[in-house]
Amino acid sequence: MDQLKEDLKKQIIEQLNLEDIQVSEIADDALLFNDEGLGLDSIDALELIVLLEKFHGIQVTKPEEGKEAFMSINTMADYITRRKAEQAV
Amino acid sequence: MIYIGAEEIISPLGVTADQNFRAMVNNQSGISLVADAGLNKTPVHLSKITDLQFEHPFDSLLEKVLISLSEKIDSDIITSDRTILLISSTKGAIENIIGDQFGRSVAFIKERFSLRHQPVVISNACISGVLAINAGANFISAGLYDHAIVIGCDLVSDFVLYGFQSLFAISEKPCLPFDSERNGITLGEACSAVLVSNSPSVFREAPLRLLKGTSANDANHISGPSRTGEGLFRSVKKTMEINGISDQDIDFISAHGTATVYNDEMESIAFDRLSLTHVPLNSFKGYFGHTLGAAGVIETAVSIQMIRNDILLKSLGFQQKGTSVTLNIIEENKPSELKTILKTASGFGGGNASLIIQKL
Amino acid sequence: MSFITSYCHLTNKSCFVNGQLIAARDTDSQDSWLKQLYKEQEIVYPKFYKMDTLSQTGFILTELLKKANSNIINAYQDDEIALLFANRFSSVDSDVRFKRSYQEQASPSPALFVYTLPNIVLGELAIYNKWYGENMFAVLPKFAADFYINYVEILLSTGSGASLCGWLDIADEKIDAFLFFVEKEGKGNQFNIESLQKLAGLI
Repeated sequence: MDQLKEDLKKQIIEQLNLEDIQVSEIADDALLFNDEGLGLDSIDALELIVLLEKFHGIQVTKPEEGKEAFMSINTMADYITRRKAEQAV
Repeated sequence: MIYIGAEEIISPLGVTADQNFRAMVNNQSGISLVADAGLNKTPVHLSKITDLQFEHPFDSLLEKVLISLSEKIDSDIITSDRTILLISSTKGAIENIIGDQFGRSVAFIKERFSLRHQPVVISNACISGVLAINAGANFISAGLYDHAIVIGCDLVSDFVLYGFQSLFAISEKPCLPFDSERNGITLGEACSAVLVSNSPSVFREAPLRLLKGTSANDANHISGPSRTGEGLFRSVKKTMEINGISDQDIDFISAHGTATVYNDEMESIAFDRLSLTHVPLNSFKGYFGHTLGAAGVIETAVSIQMIRNDILLKSLGFQQKGTSVTLNIIEENKPSELKTILKTASGFGGGNASLIIQKL
Repeated sequence: MSFITSYCHLTNKSCFVNGQLIAARDTDSQDSWLKQLYKEQEIVYPKFYKMDTLSQTGFILTELLKKANSNIINAYQDDEIALLFANRFSSVDSDVRFKRSYQEQASPSPALFVYTLPNIVLGELAIYNKWYGENMFAVLPKFAADFYINYVEILLSTGSGASLCGWLDIADEKIDAFLFFVEKEGKGNQFNIESLQKLAGLI
């Protein structure tokens, strides 16, 4: 799980061009879309959907699904783990 | 005084303004379900010209519309030293050419019609068409030219369709502007032209009056509309003020109405701030889809046809109020004498533009 | 009569303001040339990193003009500065990258797609500076001084107090950019075809 969170942080920095941010600066529970967190916007949210497909093979068909999943690194990791488990069944 | 007329339209609904208008009066839409068109070969609703079998469709549409337009005017002005051609388009021939997507087409048209001046391409997202018509009027008012031919053209391409799909902005159903069920745009392709001139005698059919238009930026977001409709509010306010037009003078609004949740809501807020919610309003996107760079020209052309035919066309796809502010959306076609109409557009990059046309 | 009250140029190697060299590219740096320039400005605007080359270029050069000419910040209402930009190849850089995202990677990137319109740079400038004025982006086969002269005079006679103009030729990683600010009053370069051509071709 911790490895997944580290990977996610790296992928987010790369996919969203957050060049001035280091992996260590992103807390697991920081709110990604809050200005005190990463301050992401609506296009970033869509780019996270691309990220999930590209790096994790998970398709999100409705952007609303992403809303709760993308609150923080913790929720993203939980979401990926759950979807992977579903795919395995 | 600046005049506008000689409107022409090529769309799935027909190859002349007349054909298009008759189809619209019969409530026809150019939108249909196209198999395999979308990303991963999914079916998508599009307003697509099905018999577009040209090697260079963008060039051919520009050529065809200019030939049609020349039959509606004193055709000598096309080659006149006092004429400028303005082309409004977002992506030109992007499907075939990445990079110089306008260069070949513009050179072809300049040569084909022996144009005296270098045509100017206005590429300002979805407000390009309204902006190009306004620019034409400005060039003439300043005495730089006597005539401006304005052509708006954009094609449906994988490039643009996949892009809007990646934004989750494409409607599953044909688009439903201003409706409570609306959920995104339907893309369309079209080519439309008008002539803007300081001389009423160059038009075969009586022209209308074009008042000075304006644009304003939202200064808010590159791809999302302002929640307060700030740019649209400012542009329309300026356009009305400089022309001495009050909210009581406007008989019809041809709104942008893309049918995304946020755009239509934004427009309703701006029109409320402008005290224009009583004015009959529609979006033509239900007929043509969103034709991007062509939209401002084609929608102005149809608005001119509405004035000529004394009819208000309904906002196709609208059934139930879907914005926080109640607008006077036209639900059925109805005869009505129209004297002054407002055309607006809003788009990516935060742009907003507006123009006013009056019956003479 | 109007005046070009400040101007700047950017090429792949150097950056000039009012004809004076103010920065040269450090070829040993890990950072892109535009990122080097950004770091030299004392501003924090993380959105800069998300912009494409077209927008980054417009953004940086506008910041340099603001430093050179405080009128841009102080002398005008929020809707009085008109933006008039043009180039040859529209948003080709982003177009190529976006096409690659769906052709080669089979996942069209929304963040790239939103930059596939040339006028997005105008939006970025408007957002950062809170400018609500007139906007226009044109695509022309080459820098045409008469286009700017004609249209700026129109803008200045119809409500705009000044115009920020740009020629942003960016293709295949090659940058040739020229920004200039036109005001109704000022001194120095008169805003006419001759002087505009001269300034444009200076670097």
